[in-house]
Amino acid sequence: MSLLRVENVDKSYGDEEVLHDVSFEMDRQDVEVIVGPSGSGKSTMLRCVNRLTEIDDGAIYLDDEEIHGIDENDLRRRVGMVFQDFNLFAHRTARGNVTLGLTEVLGLSKEEAQAKADDYLGRVGLAEQADSYPAELSGGQKQRVGIARALAMDPELILFDEPTSALDPELIGEVLEVMRDLAEGGMTMLCVTHEMGFARSAASTLTFLDEGRIVERGPPEQLFDTPEHDRTRQFLGELTDLH
Amino acid sequence: MESVFLQAGDWAFIASNGSYLLVGTIVTVLLTVTSLGLGFLAGFPAGAIEVYGSGRLEDIVSTVGVVLRGTPIVVLIFLFHFGLPIPDLGDIQWLDIQLSTFVAATLALGLRSAAYQGQVFRGAIQSIDEGQMEAARSVGMTRLQAIRRVVFPQALRRSVPGFQNEFTIVLKDTSVAFAIGLAELLTRAENLYLQPGRGTAAMEVIITISAIYFVLTFTTNRSLDRLEDVYATPGGNE
Ligand SMILES: Nc1ncnc2c1ncn2[C@@H]1O[C@H](COP(=O)(O)OP(=O)(O)OP(=O)(O)O)[C@@H](O)[C@H]1O
Ligand SMILES: [Mg+2]
Repeated sequence: MSLLRVENVDKSYGDEEVLHDVSFEMDRQDVEVIVGPSGSGKSTMLRCVNRLTEIDDGAIYLDDEEIHGIDENDLRRRVGMVFQDFNLFAHRTARGNVTLGLTEVLGLSKEEAQAKADDYLGRVGLAEQADSYPAELSGGQKQRVGIARALAMDPELILFDEPTSALDPELIGEVLEVMRDLAEGGMTMLCVTHEMGFARSAASTLTFLDEGRIVERGPPEQLFDTPEHDRTRQFLGELTDLH
Repeated sequence: MESVFLQAGDWAFIASNGSYLLVGTIVTVLLTVTSLGLGFLAGFPAGAIEVYGSGRLEDIVSTVGVVLRGTPIVVLIFLFHFGLPIPDLGDIQWLDIQLSTFVAATLALGLRSAAYQGQVFRGAIQSIDEGQMEAARSVGMTRLQAIRRVVFPQALRRSVPGFQNEFTIVLKDTSVAFAIGLAELLTRAENLYLQPGRGTAAMEVIITISAIYFVLTFTTNRSLDRLEDVYATPGGNE
């Protein structure tokens, strides 16, 4: 039974069709990487899964339950999200960023939340920075806090929307390393990223999205080495050259 | 003529009335505090309603704000003093003021300040990146939780400079309570030099109370700066 099932999803903004008949499935522990040109609908696809954006047509199932049948706050508790520009709570320390959801949403006591936050900050290598504010952290550290914040909610699935795109090149590695650890630890991850090294080594499935449609989808080696479509070859070729 | 401004006798006269002016200063400070307090209590929700509210309520709040900001403060103070049926609430003996007059002045200054503080707060809320709300919602917080625990705390910190500005304006504008005979600092100052034979002290008295207003605004603003530094979060104003 799949953890996430996206069926024939359509989404438009005004006249602009952003997602067209998108369908795919993910099992538990899968790492799905989505790539595609700017404006192809990657972010929109992720945001439909945790209902930051509502689909127009089709259906999305989490653990066989249509997501519109789930309370939206419950859904978002179960589906974590990591953002391109981090979106850390600017007025709270690294620890405070992690504890807020734990106390407000899960109802943990302050002490329980702090212990849990410190545990997760330790896992992403930030035990020392627990008392730092976002403005005092490097981009890579901020993103690791963002990941700890999502992880601490014990989600069934985490969405990553270009988690390394806003980072200086020398800071990308530390974030990818955390993501690799997560993947190896069995976390189910749906990632938009153009880090082809990560896609090749960590992804169970690679999806190429273009103009709101899935052009091609399969094991990463297949898309890289023997793509069915020229567009896939061309796009992945350019990406790999760039990196 | 030059001697008119610099008569030692006039300064001595002021010194001997120091406690009289002190009581006026206390009234001025009290009126500033009550007006700013009312301004915050009404302005904070007003600003929030202008951002998050909708329909009738938002229309009412924003219209009232426009009217309050568009009316001269002396007109407002007359309106509340003569227009409102504020019952006689007795006197505050040691300050030599009528409570009902003080209430009218507080309403005028406070509600007008609310109209401005509301704008300060509205702007601060709108300056908070949309991503903050999305991040809060993405861990499962309700919209209300996100507003209370993520947006408001940041918006309040960003409002401090605007609130500071508002403090200075309200403190100085308490002097318009003069127009309804509330014995604050300016009224008491005038009482001094209108005494028979004391006309020559007018300039000295005015200089003295100007200095008092200046010291009050300067020291308070400095203390607020300090407070802001102590409670600032790094990057909180970015
Ligand atoms: N809230 C919105 N309102 C209107 N149009 C939107 C909105 N969000 C996205 N779009 C449009 O939908 C299209 C797809 O956007 P989306 O952000 O999903 O693309 P993307 O693949 O994530 O691109 P990028 O690589 O630049 O992040 C774009 O043309 C964009 O302008
Ligand atoms: Mg995007």
